[in-house]
Amino acid sequence: MYGWIWRHLPGPLYLRVVEAVVLVVGIVALLMFVVFPWAEPKLPFNNVTTQ
Amino acid sequence: MIPRVEDDYDDEYYDDDYYDEDEKDALPPESLARKTVRGVGEALITMGLVVLLFVVYEVYVTDLLSAEKQQEATAALDSEWGSNTVTPPPADPNRQSKLNLIEGKAFAKMYIPVFGNDWKFSVVEGTTDKHLEIGPGHYKDTAQPGEAGNFAIAGHRVGKGAPFNDLDLLESCNAVVVQTQTQWFVYRVLPMSSEVAGWASNPKAKQPACAGVAPLSTTLGDAYAKTVGQEIVLPTQGEVIAPIPHQTAAAVPADKQARLLTLTTCHPRFSDRQRLIVHAIETKSYPVADGFVPPEMTEG
Repeated sequence: MYGWIWRHLPGPLYLRVVEAVVLVVGIVALLMFVVFPWAEPKLPFNNVTTQ
Repeated sequence: MIPRVEDDYDDEYYDDDYYDEDEKDALPPESLARKTVRGVGEALITMGLVVLLFVVYEVYVTDLLSAEKQQEATAALDSEWGSNTVTPPPADPNRQSKLNLIEGKAFAKMYIPVFGNDWKFSVVEGTTDKHLEIGPGHYKDTAQPGEAGNFAIAGHRVGKGAPFNDLDLLESCNAVVVQTQTQWFVYRVLPMSSEVAGWASNPKAKQPACAGVAPLSTTLGDAYAKTVGQEIVLPTQGEVIAPIPHQTAAAVPADKQARLLTLTTCHPRFSDRQRLIVHAIETKSYPVADGFVPPEMTEG
């Protein structure tokens, strides 16, 4: 998977490194601001109220 | 003879090494099994990283997001308090006009001096996830600050500002100060269940901080026998925030109920298996005045 992505990044080495960093940052941001806030209420960690 | 043989061996060894590296440059044939094993391994590593990231999100990122919301709520509250014409506090400091509580809006500030003077949160109305992201939330339909009954507040213990992170460290007689637009209310944590029996002979009971604090079963009767400083209950035990905790059928008329404060959070930390409950009783109240800060605020 990682090898496949690396081989398909266009451009010379320095450009590929930049592209890889942008990809990682993008995916982390997507997780932090979209996926985790959506998933969190469905997980049993943070219920603090009594019913 | 012998050294020469060793030399030969060494040469051969290095030759092998070079040979191996040549081999590495030419990749071995990609078999399907090889690809599959690598794919599964990479997927597992990725999932592990995602889980680690989730922990970082829960413990740190939600703090940052909530700090911003808490700040906004506090700013809104401050401007409301600053601009509103203040209705003077009623003559009897314990009787007060009802606050107009709007869901999701802050209506009071809360301080726990033993946690340090930087421990302050604006309390919002409502206890849904959205409300608790802003700060500690007041259970709708429970008493208001200073009212007879049970002023009940829920708060996060991990992440989202974690207002109630250290709730388990509160000891009997520790002060929890609540400020509304017109009044300060000082609540003190009730004696723990282990302290109830020997409270009268406990030297702690004579400390000035414990003035007005005594096991409720001795001062208010059996209806309050289960109301102690700290308890750990199941999430389904909603009766801990009843006007008289654990008494769902009101056994005492409203005007004879104690003025309690109840704080709830999750327990153990990082789990929602149980709830940590802290009960406190109002011992003092002061009208809000310019430049006046209750002496209890400097405790700790």
